[in-house]
Amino acid sequence: MLKKNNNNQKMLKLIDKNRIYFIFLFVFLFMSLFAPRFLNVFNLTTVTKTMAMNATVAIGFTMIFIIGQLDLSIGTIITFSAVIGLSMKEYIGFGGSVPLAIVAGGLIGLINGLLVTKAKISSFIVTLGMMTVLTGVIYTMTGGNSVSLSSDDAFAVSDFLGDMIFPFITPRVLIAIIMVIAFSLFLNRTRTGRNFYMVGGNKQTAWLAGINTDKYTIITFVISGTMAGVGGVLYAMESAAAPLNLGTSSLMYIISATIIGGTAMSGGKGGVFKTFVAILMLEVLYNGIILFGLGNEVKIFIAGFILAAVVMNEAIVAYKHEKIFGQRPELIKELKQVQN
Amino acid sequence: MKKFTTLCLSLLMMVAITGFAFAAGQQEEGEMAASGNDNLAASLAVDSTVLKAADGQQLIKLEGVGRTVPPRPADPSALPETDPLHWWDMEFAGEITNKTNIPESPADGAIGKNVTMIVHGDHPWTTACTNGAQKVADAYSMNLKIQSPNWDLAVQNQMIDQAINERPDMILLIPLDAKTALQQARKINKAGIPLILFNTLPEAKAMDYAISWTGPDDFGQSRKLAKAWADELGMKGGVAFVQHNPGTSPYFARCFGPISTLAEYAPDIEVLDMQSPGFDAAKTLQLVSDWITRFGDDLTGIYVADDSSHALGVAEALAKAGREDIIVVGAGNSKVGMDLIKDGGIFAITYQTAEGDGALAVQTSADWFNGLDVPAIRNIPQHIITPADVDSFYPPQW
Amino acid sequence: MSDDKTIKEEKSDVRAIKVTTLGKMMNSFGIYAIAVFFLVLGIVLQSLGIINNFLTTTNMMNILDAVTLLGIVAVGMAFVTYSGHYADMSVPTTMAFTGIICVQMLQFGFIPALIITFLFGLLIGLINAVAIGKFKANPIIWTLALVFVTKGIIRIVWDNKQIYPDFIANSERTSDLFDNIFRYRFFGKISLPLVMLIILIIALDFVMKKTKYGAQLKMTGAAQKAASFSGINTEFVIGMAFVICALTATLGGLTVTSLSRVGYINNGVGYDFKAVTAIVIGGMTLAGGRGSIMGVVGGVLVMGLIDNILTLLGVGTFSQDMIRGTIFIIVVGLNAKSLRSLGRDDA
Repeated sequence: MLKKNNNNQKMLKLIDKNRIYFIFLFVFLFMSLFAPRFLNVFNLTTVTKTMAMNATVAIGFTMIFIIGQLDLSIGTIITFSAVIGLSMKEYIGFGGSVPLAIVAGGLIGLINGLLVTKAKISSFIVTLGMMTVLTGVIYTMTGGNSVSLSSDDAFAVSDFLGDMIFPFITPRVLIAIIMVIAFSLFLNRTRTGRNFYMVGGNKQTAWLAGINTDKYTIITFVISGTMAGVGGVLYAMESAAAPLNLGTSSLMYIISATIIGGTAMSGGKGGVFKTFVAILMLEVLYNGIILFGLGNEVKIFIAGFILAAVVMNEAIVAYKHEKIFGQRPELIKELKQVQN
Repeated sequence: MKKFTTLCLSLLMMVAITGFAFAAGQQEEGEMAASGNDNLAASLAVDSTVLKAADGQQLIKLEGVGRTVPPRPADPSALPETDPLHWWDMEFAGEITNKTNIPESPADGAIGKNVTMIVHGDHPWTTACTNGAQKVADAYSMNLKIQSPNWDLAVQNQMIDQAINERPDMILLIPLDAKTALQQARKINKAGIPLILFNTLPEAKAMDYAISWTGPDDFGQSRKLAKAWADELGMKGGVAFVQHNPGTSPYFARCFGPISTLAEYAPDIEVLDMQSPGFDAAKTLQLVSDWITRFGDDLTGIYVADDSSHALGVAEALAKAGREDIIVVGAGNSKVGMDLIKDGGIFAITYQTAEGDGALAVQTSADWFNGLDVPAIRNIPQHIITPADVDSFYPPQW
Repeated sequence: MSDDKTIKEEKSDVRAIKVTTLGKMMNSFGIYAIAVFFLVLGIVLQSLGIINNFLTTTNMMNILDAVTLLGIVAVGMAFVTYSGHYADMSVPTTMAFTGIICVQMLQFGFIPALIITFLFGLLIGLINAVAIGKFKANPIIWTLALVFVTKGIIRIVWDNKQIYPDFIANSERTSDLFDNIFRYRFFGKISLPLVMLIILIIALDFVMKKTKYGAQLKMTGAAQKAASFSGINTEFVIGMAFVICALTATLGGLTVTSLSRVGYINNGVGYDFKAVTAIVIGGMTLAGGRGSIMGVVGGVLVMGLIDNILTLLGVGTFSQDMIRGTIFIIVVGLNAKSLRSLGRDDA
């Protein structure tokens, strides 16, 4: 009797942990069956191309969640590196401006990390302030104008990044996928990777186990900044231009995707690959909504609904767990039997 | 081990579905319009000049609308900002073009054609714009599909990709950003789909890839308004500008257009400050109150880039400080702005028909389908609305 | 002899806390020290002739008016932060939603519209209260989800249009009353929102400092589990905080909608981060249990002072952003450091 219950519970737990895969399959199948012109190479490539930037940035952001912190500045870092990558091109060429843009993103991440660990200011505050400062910096750098390139080599690069090499895969998408797999393997397979989970799960224990939590925190912020930089600069190169609100919508989008994918803000669980699948799912969903011809209100409403459902689900599970916290249900059953 | 198997399983599933998709892949073609001379004749017979916008004004007005284009100086950016010709490339973008790979008109009439309109974002203005577009589309029996990316560039690019996939007979596009418009126009052009850009001025080079551009002559209107403003100011005083959001063409047109006109027309007027508070009435209120504190009686005029949120903030600040003597003008034309003209809070606004904007784009596409000659630039009518004639523009379009 | 040695070692105890003057000052006066700093800065700049008219009644009233709306929203959200739940990100959409509902309900008259509006504000507060108070959902994510859902509802119901009070109101008097929510001035100088803010400050400060609820809230914010075990109904306490926040957001929504004269989905954008900024630089820590309403008021005033001085100096909007962000991080850092140097919890 006990064993059967345990098995059921294990099944439920397994489904709950991997719910994002099920949700993704469901959404994909739904769209394939009902959305007009969904299932063809061109349309699906559009989906992958649109999600590539957010998928890249979400790698870093998921890691931030895993260690239990928050990074609100990723949207502005995306724009920041995009602007640097494009505007520096005429001085030092793509070979110079792209690495510079990525390093700049990492530098911002470094500043964030240092302020959080050394000055011991909450990450919410630090990244909120950094977001404001960066917005001002970006506008001052560009004088308010968006940045663009119109030379022929710029178009060559843009075409290269945007043309398919396999079905659904363009070079930029390929870069995103490779990085997702690499980081996912790193976090789950290697000792150092799993240490990140420990830092988020229980900071004191991690410290007692000899992990330098400050170092891990700083490294995570640097990774987050770098990934935002990579995502931003690649996107800007493909569209050969960067408007100043490039990264604005990414923040909420990535937060939602990370939560839906199963990585909680409290840290210690979740995964990069799950976030990736969550982003894919959201993109497929939005793509389908556009194909149905429905307006933006439906998009926003459904996104909110899914997020609310996921949060509620986790909360209720935790609530139920709390209710029987400290109780010993088997013992109580036994006592009831003895009473009878 | 378990995690690894889950990973493999999901990858396998995705590959399987991909294969399925590849095999089943097909692109739906848009319905071909019934061709033939009857279609063309019927289409040419449609008279769109009888259509009216919500405010009772004529929806499409082409006669008497146009502008004189001065010759291009050798290097506009070398001229000072206060010289009107400094802004030549922005103001007259598209006048000098090198049209590339423009498709030939099928000249078989506009009836039944599929047109996809991609606007910039959700806003009451856009609702009015698409209403106007729909009116003309109905008159020509065209299938108009309207999509809005809600100010998100990635989504607009996605919509453009999807539109290219659908292959409509024409794409009408409001580019979200002047510079990214270049790449967008190039993409559509490469795919061989006819393109008309409208409302927002793109970078000049983007015009090479489009059939035409329609929309408001922002610079021209702002210059006209500036002159009327200077007259009312008595050709002297100190003025400040509440700017549009940076990076957009109205940001330049509605601030530097007037400034450069004033430099020539009324050189005694001094420009005191220019700021961009965003479309927030409370912030504008704060800004103008601080301006009054800072400049005192030196400030005699304010130009706003938006006649609703900006203008409200200005009007409130002036009322609070008791400085209703300051003369306010702005770019219109919303209900709030027109109400303020009636109240006396604003002196004048520009007339910019939202419905006419969308309508003109659709009209131009219909003309192209009819095989008529379509000019590179087409403008909607210009007018300065003052208390004398504001009543004829009610009920407001938005 | 050995006694001397022991005494010497105690003197150089590395665990001793260094109490610095800066720390003490920051802690006792808190944000008001910073407010005074900026006031003095403004006066100095004025006497140097760099800016003019800073220390005038008009300018000071302008600063007060500029921060009134923010103040209304921030004193409500302070309860959420005080309870240890970071922030309520749904405030901007609550403002827009209640504003647009009020405009729509003006067709039934002014008082009915007000009542219905506050009922809806209460509803949103209750939704948050149940989800976060009872089911302990993550506050930031849940309120974020609520933002999306509310936006979706507004768009669907009002079809992407904005609505105008004077078109909908059942009489001119009704629409005038609505218009006056923002514009009415007592004695021609003191605006109605400012009066509302002052009443709110007095009332909410009393609730936080002198009522049993306030004490329970502090305990919940400081150590939620302990509070719950000691018999405090934490679910109710936390839920009530979110209800208060939603109600002040409703008041803010009415004010901003009255100012813009349109019921519009984007009324109130930006007030979530602005309110959090004011609350945090006012000395309330995000982990909860520390701070006061007067501190929040100080934070709001400092933000107003900074904006005013920067505009009077003629600093461009973007440079203002940079400066504000940096000041924000510095002030919070100073606050945290002073708490730490006095040996207190600085989360």
